[in-house]
Amino acid sequence: MLLEMKRASVNYGSVSAIRDISLAVPEGGIVTIIGGNGAGKTTTLRAISGLARVGAGEIHFNGERIDKLSVDKIVGRGIAHVPEGRRVFPDLTVEENLRTGAFLRRDKPAVEADLESVYGRFSRLRERRKQLAKTMSGGEQQMLAIGRALMSKPKLLLLDEPSMGLAPVIVEDIARIIEEIKGQGVPVVLVEQNAELALDLADYAYVLETGTLALEGPAAELHDNAHVRAAYLGV
Amino acid sequence: MAELLVQTGLNALYAAAYMSLIAVGLVLIFGVMGIINFAHGELFMLGAYVVVALYADFQVPYVLVAALGLVFVGCVGVAMEWAMFRRLRDNPLGGLVASIGFLMILQALVSMGFGVRMAHVPPVTQEVIIFSERVRLPVQRLIVILAAIGFLTALWAFLTKTRFGWALRASAQDQEAAALQGISINQTAGIAMFIGASLAGIAGALTAPLISVNPHMGHSVIVAAFIVIIVGGVGSLEGAVLAAVIYAFVHTFVTTFADGVIADVVGLLLMLVVLIIKPTGLFGTADRA
Repeated sequence: MLLEMKRASVNYGSVSAIRDISLAVPEGGIVTIIGGNGAGKTTTLRAISGLARVGAGEIHFNGERIDKLSVDKIVGRGIAHVPEGRRVFPDLTVEENLRTGAFLRRDKPAVEADLESVYGRFSRLRERRKQLAKTMSGGEQQMLAIGRALMSKPKLLLLDEPSMGLAPVIVEDIARIIEEIKGQGVPVVLVEQNAELALDLADYAYVLETGTLALEGPAAELHDNAHVRAAYLGV
Repeated sequence: MAELLVQTGLNALYAAAYMSLIAVGLVLIFGVMGIINFAHGELFMLGAYVVVALYADFQVPYVLVAALGLVFVGCVGVAMEWAMFRRLRDNPLGGLVASIGFLMILQALVSMGFGVRMAHVPPVTQEVIIFSERVRLPVQRLIVILAAIGFLTALWAFLTKTRFGWALRASAQDQEAAALQGISINQTAGIAMFIGASLAGIAGALTAPLISVNPHMGHSVIVAAFIVIIVGGVGSLEGAVLAAVIYAFVHTFVTTFADGVIADVVGLLLMLVVLIIKPTGLFGTADRA
């Protein structure tokens, strides 16, 4: 397993956000975490990238325990996190945003090559390379946030609600991009409220309810699960 | 009359030069760390006392002293970050209170070492550029103006052309998202403190031969620096520079044609008017203010 979370809990003050969550991400697949508002999906990702501190339990990445490392160290290990709400740097240009993603990399020629490949994948970003990120549409900002994460050459990509607030046609673009990323062998942990989209894309799925793990299984199986269908797919 | 206007304009340019060095550092520290460094005026004062200690007392060459002032005060800034602000990172009010305490410590230490009276700094150069009978520019003032332009240009290049510059701007805009790019906040905070403090230090070192150097000289500049930051827009470096120029011109002209107390009042009025018309400052955006 590339990433393993073992019985992890996170508290915000005296409020428990997630309890006893165990999950595993294999090499080269898409794992999704679905669930309603406040179920603990975002907190789970934040625990992996170190933004939230794990109170109990452990997180291992590539065989190394990472839950005590600082955020920048975890990024350095190869985990890229596209946070909820995209969080691009509003007053940096598109290109500066992308280069910031490669902050820790010293292999300059490879960074230039990766910049070209991000521009190749997202032609809108190339057109707008000199523009400030805040002047772009929500869909473009989401692409920029994903592009910025790819610039770190991640071994694992965490995506928090990439479809949030986007028009259906843009959501399709994002879905295609996620599949491309998987196709290049970068495993993805996808957090989504759009369970339909998430279960279509993912190989394996976890369902969180009020901070605990309610269900898990291959995405296709969960797609046919009666509880999931009633609670998350609206059928 | 025309000559008086030109002369006052030159004076204002000099005031704008050292004022923007101080204000830009204050803005940079606030932007990256979210802390209002009340001890910033005392960093300016420390820069001046490096000149008193090494140049006035030991006749070390002035250029070397100015460079030492820059590095020394920059290091004091790094030490402040490490000893106080890093430990109070989730507590901006605590950072502010700590910086007020540190300001008093610095004033007390300098008073103990050098006395509370005005320290004498011999002129570095007596040369004056004479444009006409009544328009003159002392070379020391010209040095301050040119140095400010040079340092601000260098800062601009650093922030827009280097990866650490991007990192600094990124963490000023969104610290958490910056951390997710592998940018360590300890590192950017240290860099911001070094740059901010060293700019205040070099401003003190460069103006020391021209102003009255005493342990409480930080007071007057810190008030002006706050006005400048509010007028320019909290968190905007270009706003700070522009506002420093505006403030220095207004203040210098009112001082010349009325008097200094009225100039202080007008300066505060300027801040009030900006706050009423555009509460975010000239260059500020709503979310930073």
